[in-house]
Amino acid sequence: MCDFSGRLIAWMDCELEANEAAVVERHVRACAECRERVAAYEDVSRGIAAYCDVVLETAMVTKIHRKLPRWVPVVAGAAAVAAVVLVLALLPRSVRPVPVIPQVAEVRTPIAPKTGTNTPNPVQRRHAAAHRKTQTATWAVAEPAIQIAIPGDAMFPPGAVPEGVNFVANLSLADGSVQGLRLQP
Amino acid sequence: MSGDSFSLDLPLARFATDSCEATALYRELRKPLLRYLAGLGLSSEEAQDVVQDAFLSMHKHLAAGRSQENIRSWLFRVAHNRARNCQKSYARRLGGPLDPGFDLISHEATPEHAVLAKEKFHRLDKAIRSLAAPERECLMLRAEGLRYREIGEVLGIPTSTVGDTVERAVKKLAEKCNV
Repeated sequence: MCDFSGRLIAWMDCELEANEAAVVERHVRACAECRERVAAYEDVSRGIAAYCDVVLETAMVTKIHRKLPRWVPVVAGAAAVAAVVLVLALLPRSVRPVPVIPQVAEVRTPIAPKTGTNTPNPVQRRHAAAHRKTQTATWAVAEPAIQIAIPGDAMFPPGAVPEGVNFVANLSLADGSVQGLRLQP
Repeated sequence: MSGDSFSLDLPLARFATDSCEATALYRELRKPLLRYLAGLGLSSEEAQDVVQDAFLSMHKHLAAGRSQENIRSWLFRVAHNRARNCQKSYARRLGGPLDPGFDLISHEATPEHAVLAKEKFHRLDKAIRSLAAPERECLMLRAEGLRYREIGEVLGIPTSTVGDTVERAVKKLAEKCNV
């Protein structure tokens, strides 16, 4: 190997003193092996410069093509609905909206036929309680106290629902707190 | 904020001069800095954040009336240190093999030449990934036109060490790429 091979790259990079650079330059003109090495090192240097350009270009393209996962809008919509429900549930009772008076205000409990004894029939009582609960639930859904319109785009990914479709959230209130939530398109 | 007091305390002429200088430096060095940081493995967003922080620091540095010598290596050093802070393991985060893309090989005369150029690029990519981190950093900074002395200032190593590292790295790449 030529003695000058250790100074070729520094000479190429103009990092040698002027007199030393002149000596190396004269040698490279005369030595075919060193000229070949210099050509190879210059080729590598050009390749590194091109490599740096490609690295930056790749980083930029990766940024442009990055997309949000499909579940993000769904979770965002669900979080929005949950936030609305939570805010309504935590509203102080002093500022709660005036409840709408239902048309069917009374639910008559069926009267059990009188028997000779005063012992209550447990089966009948359970049935009556269940009947009352059913009546109350039917009333709550039929006459919601608050309706909130939510755009379909806020809950589903683009294209999942036709454009312009809204969902109506029916919130049923009882005793100042949220008893149920129902979404209807 | 102290940045406002800097501006108010400075004479207007000097502030204007520094602003012009900072703008010129930004135009000249923004892309080389981004290229270097992307070469370290930072994402595009991370690299842009680091460059912005580096230029903000430079503005404060100039506004405070500190030394304006070697401002290029000063900027690279700030960016290099911030990159290390925001991504300690950037060497492990280098992505998969790179695609040279259409632009790099489109000037080739024939499809055969284009394929050869692409293969050569992949060999170089593999060889660069096999280098040690200081060798890769020295080569990237050298590719951005920094002198050995400036590279030493950025990386905090002696100039003679930079020369040895650059020589060793270039020789390794020349052997592995068989050029």
